[in-house]
Amino acid sequence: MAEPILSARNIKKYFNVSGGTLKAVDDISFDIYKGETLGLVGESGCGKTTAGRTIIRLYEPTGGELFFEGQDIYKIPRHSMKPVRRNIQMIFQDPYASLNPRMTVEEIIAEPLEIHGIYKSEKQRRERVYELLQLLGLNEEHALRFPHEFSGGQRQRIGVARSLALNPKFIVCDEPISALDVSIQAQVVNLLKNLQTQMGLTYLFIAHDLSMVRYISDRVGVMYLGMMMELSKSEELYDHPIHPYTQALLSAIPIPDPEIQRSRKRIILEGDVPSPIDPGPGCRFADRCFYAIDECRKVTPEFKEVRPEHFVACHRSGEILAGTAAMTK
Amino acid sequence: MENILEVKNLQVSFKTFFGEVEAVRDISFTVGKKETVAIVGESGCGKSVTASSIMQLLPMPPAFYKGGQILFKGEDIVTKTEKEMQDIRGSKISMVFQDPMTSLNPTMKIGKQIVEGLIKHQKLSKNEAHKKAIEMLKLVAVPQPEKRVNQYPHEFSGGMRQRVMIALAMVANPELLIADEPTTALDVTVQAQILDLMKELQDKLNMSIILITHDLGVVADMSDKVIVMYAGQIVEQGSVNDIFKNPMHPYTIKLLASVPRLNMKRDESLHYIEGTPPDLYIPPKGCAFFDRCDYAMKVCKDHMPNPEYHNEEHYSRCWLNHPLAVDVRREGSVE
Repeated sequence: MAEPILSARNIKKYFNVSGGTLKAVDDISFDIYKGETLGLVGESGCGKTTAGRTIIRLYEPTGGELFFEGQDIYKIPRHSMKPVRRNIQMIFQDPYASLNPRMTVEEIIAEPLEIHGIYKSEKQRRERVYELLQLLGLNEEHALRFPHEFSGGQRQRIGVARSLALNPKFIVCDEPISALDVSIQAQVVNLLKNLQTQMGLTYLFIAHDLSMVRYISDRVGVMYLGMMMELSKSEELYDHPIHPYTQALLSAIPIPDPEIQRSRKRIILEGDVPSPIDPGPGCRFADRCFYAIDECRKVTPEFKEVRPEHFVACHRSGEILAGTAAMTK
Repeated sequence: MENILEVKNLQVSFKTFFGEVEAVRDISFTVGKKETVAIVGESGCGKSVTASSIMQLLPMPPAFYKGGQILFKGEDIVTKTEKEMQDIRGSKISMVFQDPMTSLNPTMKIGKQIVEGLIKHQKLSKNEAHKKAIEMLKLVAVPQPEKRVNQYPHEFSGGMRQRVMIALAMVANPELLIADEPTTALDVTVQAQILDLMKELQDKLNMSIILITHDLGVVADMSDKVIVMYAGQIVEQGSVNDIFKNPMHPYTIKLLASVPRLNMKRDESLHYIEGTPPDLYIPPKGCAFFDRCDYAMKVCKDHMPNPEYHNEEHYSRCWLNHPLAVDVRREGSVE
């Protein structure tokens, strides 16, 4: 796991809106290693989806560098991106909206093959489609049906089949299970995990369901208002969160066990996530933070390694680690 | 405990072009004073239809009450006229909906939407109602209520909108609050705020709550009693501890096992339920969970199991729990 397949350095994505500049992703850096799953969590509006889309250059970045297998893909002219895209695919959130209702399953799955001109004959292409359907627990008869004939879980599997068609190395999964029922979520997650081992895939798994992210990810990054707040191995992050925001976020997950759930102490955050339009200097979480000091409101904290492989952007991380941080709220 | 609501053998169906859909098939339960009852199940299991039928909010036709009673403090809701219902809705029974974006009127100021209910139910003057509206917003912890009361829904964040929805539901001190997925559209930190608020208000106002959700964490947090629904029926019912610590129906067991626990090892795989729930155009004769159950037997296909009681309030509908059934060790049990 030593070698990163993807390295993001100071990625920025700003949108110009009426009222100012919306900083959806503001200067985030991280590596994703070959064969691992990096989870990306945060609340709605924190920029996790934008980050995912900027990484694969569905959005043109405002700044930063992104190395995929050593090559900075932000420097490649847009029209020469095609060969890179073969290796980078995406699974979308809503299996109802991301499949064209007028195309058959075969057409949907074969589309990437067609675009990239992988197979010469239609027969070969069809065989590849059948192979993919089988891999995902569907069968050949399904090829001629339309998306509306499938349940949510099956549709999401069709979406996964499409993303696998080109044998990619890296897949961005943007909330792939949020639209599914609990019992079916588990099915899709198991499937994604099995495919990963079978095909040596690397995932960026974006979700807001924190317990599912812990389960599927090797490492997890926490975003808040466009910035990365904390990143570490998933067990470490869930057992020993350092950033006050991560602590609050984790304590808010209701645990499906009445005894544990009712006896634990929750950190209830006050207020709402502030606007990402022209944010001022300082830590973005400072106004809601129970450890915030004056410095937090003036200087943006650096995202640094405070323990081996555990990165945090917080001025008081040292004190929090040592257990000497005094609450200010 | 005094029962505030008693649902007896309720059946609700929808007439459609293809035939009758039996969405709720003979369910019975009670809600006590100050009790929180959670109804859980997959989409389409009939949990929302049950909730809406208590308020007579289903469009009729196509929906109709096929049988049974809904006794609210001894009075049958099923037989009430629309006019009589208007006095109950909002004042005695209130509802909080899933999506605060679509349940508030986007063209009306927040204050006006609250005032509307106050003038109707409590016969207050405009000025008094306006004051009360500000008070209600204060109650649900909306900051700067004097300013917020004159704003439109789009100026509120998702969590704030849900607070307004709760304020609206609370206006007339209802005795029963029905919350249909009240926090599903919200982030976890906001969810924690809203759930705390609901608990606090329940204490203050002595209210009973019916909570409809598919989030088992929320159920563990909030409820006293849990009802597990599947294909329009109650397959298991019991206290929150019974359901989480000693689930008896294979469906409940599987449902609990499909949620990742925070102490779970990463190489463990999650359990999931193969297949989909049955079509309720032609509901199955026997147990509805038959085709998806690992323990299905011949008897399950043709005969509907009766409730077997495991203790006074905990029962399940499964042939495995029949006194004459062979004892099968259930895999995937949570413990």
